[in-house]
Amino acid sequence: MEATDENKNRTTGEAPAEIERLKEELRREHEMYLRALADFDNYRRRVARERLNTVRSGKREIVLPLLDVLDGFDLALAHMGDAPASVTEGLEALRRKLLGLLEAQGISPIVSLGETFNPELHDAVGTVESETFESGAVAEEVQRGYRWGDDVLRPTRVRVAR
Amino acid sequence: MAKAVGIDLGTTNSVVAVMEGGQPTVIINSEGSRLTPSVVAFTKTGERLVGQIAKRQAVLNPENTIYSAKRFIGRRFSEVQSEIKNVPYKVVAGPNDAVRFEMMGKQYAPEEISAQVLRKLADDAAKYLGEKVTDAVITVPAYFNDAQRQATKDAGKIAGLNVLRIINEPTAASLAYGLDKKKNETIMVFDLGGGTFDVSILDVGDGVFEVRATSGDTHLGGDDFDKRLVDWLAEEFRRQQGIDLRKDRQALQRLTEAAEKAKIELSSALETTISLPFVTADATGPKHLEMKLTRAKFDQLTADLVERCVGPVKQALSDAKISERDIDEVILVGGSTRTPAVQSLVRRLTGGKEPNQSVNPDEVVAVGAAIQAAVLAGEVKNVVLLDVTPLSLGVETLGGVMTKLIERNTTIPVRKSEIFSTAEDNQAAVDIHVLQGERELARDNRTLGNFRLEGIRPAPRGAAQIEVTFDIDANGILTVTAKDKQSGKEQRITISGSTQLSKEEIDRMVADAQAHSVEDRKRREEVEARNNADSMAYQVERQIRELGDRVPLNEKARAEQLIADIRELVKNNSSDVARLRQLTSDLQQIASGLASAAYSQASSGAQGGRPGGTPPGGGDDVIDAEFKET
Repeated sequence: MEATDENKNRTTGEAPAEIERLKEELRREHEMYLRALADFDNYRRRVARERLNTVRSGKREIVLPLLDVLDGFDLALAHMGDAPASVTEGLEALRRKLLGLLEAQGISPIVSLGETFNPELHDAVGTVESETFESGAVAEEVQRGYRWGDDVLRPTRVRVAR
Repeated sequence: MAKAVGIDLGTTNSVVAVMEGGQPTVIINSEGSRLTPSVVAFTKTGERLVGQIAKRQAVLNPENTIYSAKRFIGRRFSEVQSEIKNVPYKVVAGPNDAVRFEMMGKQYAPEEISAQVLRKLADDAAKYLGEKVTDAVITVPAYFNDAQRQATKDAGKIAGLNVLRIINEPTAASLAYGLDKKKNETIMVFDLGGGTFDVSILDVGDGVFEVRATSGDTHLGGDDFDKRLVDWLAEEFRRQQGIDLRKDRQALQRLTEAAEKAKIELSSALETTISLPFVTADATGPKHLEMKLTRAKFDQLTADLVERCVGPVKQALSDAKISERDIDEVILVGGSTRTPAVQSLVRRLTGGKEPNQSVNPDEVVAVGAAIQAAVLAGEVKNVVLLDVTPLSLGVETLGGVMTKLIERNTTIPVRKSEIFSTAEDNQAAVDIHVLQGERELARDNRTLGNFRLEGIRPAPRGAAQIEVTFDIDANGILTVTAKDKQSGKEQRITISGSTQLSKEEIDRMVADAQAHSVEDRKRREEVEARNNADSMAYQVERQIRELGDRVPLNEKARAEQLIADIRELVKNNSSDVARLRQLTSDLQQIASGLASAAYSQASSGAQGGRPGGTPPGGGDDVIDAEFKET
């Protein structure tokens, strides 16, 4: 009998503290649960959003070096000089082919000449005197830039009219 | 719940990272890059540009484009005279000898400029995370004095951030490697960035870092390596072609880019080719630059730059009053530490110690800051470290193969179930053999337990539906339940400790599976070929029985011959996969012939309204595997 009473007393003595502890633990656990849920929900939404970007960033690795090759064609064509017309035509056909391939992926050249300089689209490498263009406009395309859908894949490298 | 981010506010570039689900993630900015240039510009139209965009217009607007603000933050005007010479924008003295940038008649404190960078990073982080970012930990070099730290903190405040703490860059790097858990170690952090070199010696104990010494070179970095390469390329080209490419701004730009690319390539390759077609032209026509560069040549060109790191390292060691042997850990920070010559120098200076470099050296400081931010925001404490199952779990199915229900490295808690069936007619019980491991055959894997589900309703083989469920709770306790869907009879086993294998044991089992993967796959194929052949034999046998005398005699004879052949092969555990597959497909053809013959006979009314044969597979498409009565 005595032992039972003792037990009872001890239990009742500890109960409020124990309940508080458990409540606190439950509150913490619940918060963790909500955090995890929130994290997951955000993650899921982001994954969905990023799926397109992931495909793109994979393609980027091959597309960007291809732009380099395309630049090569642009430079070559600018240097044709006295070369026979048929060589120039052939080179132009090659360039169109490459450009067509990129266009099929949604990549298109940025038209810059004469536009007002915009750092979202243009990367300035210098300024030039110009009679054709007013001050602040793109007077010279040094390296053509490209868009990929709505994004700038590579800005156009330009000289701006003084 | 707002997230706390970690920000590495660098001299040239800045990085922001955040802890997500217990893992640090570097945030991609709105331009799609992990690095954001620490550049701020004010345009003539009153626009404020930050990052890559600001950098793109720098040549047009040099006096209103601020970079390297970190070199000025928290310093007195009288202290920064030599820095002023290196920048094109106007630096003036403000009140109390403070540094001010003057742009379009207005003065800006360096902390206001840094605040713009911090604001952009926080905004990009918020966009990425889809929630507001208010709290941040920002890093500063270990040698920053109180005024510089306070000014950095103020920059955070101006940016609208609650700066949880300013921590040292080398401390952040150490945190990224979890070195705070080490007891009484000495760490050397070797940080060679784009334009600055810092070396720090830290002591760690009880999770507290103490900076014992710092040294460095405020004007040494990757850009110097690039410049060396550009000069060499230009010089070589001039010797061959007589044209100095450095005088042509566009050619110089292409050359600089190509040099940086070559430098990066030489970190992994021993040789690279620098190719710049049509780089310039003269009266004789276009000129191309095409040069091979070996790593040895690159090392030779940059040897003195690498050597310039030696002095500060020795200085730091002597200031800390220790020798190279006292260093327990070495951490590499900054993109330039990817250069092999720099790495071997670090090894040489630290007594051959292998440096920590598994975390991207451009991002390691931000990652450490993110970890610190999460700890201070109380996230890490609360984050349950989610465990994974170290090995795959599954059951043994017909022919002694292991059918996996849970693949290795699945995050727990997890629950997966699959429906199996019986391998014999009227099979009354199935044995569930619970397995762990990566091998294809049951006998090569570890047995976690066995149990038997009895009282299955009598049914033809393949008709019973036994649902097997694997459930691992957060404590790694596995419960396997088997349930007969028809009778509702259920049996289960609970296995604890399925995740408590030693790392060596796990590694051994995984390595074993890899080593045997070819033969295992072959043996599994054999088992599957036998199972498929046997199952086809069974179906056709049943079909013939059900169709009775409607089966043409010659068809029946052929089918019976094929079935006999299959039975013989199965009995002898034949490994002749090709023959088993051939027999199975021959039999399959007969089966479909029989089915359509019976169907047309039935529909022509010759045999009245009797139902046609059961289609192969018993019309049950849920069978993934079958248990064998043992």
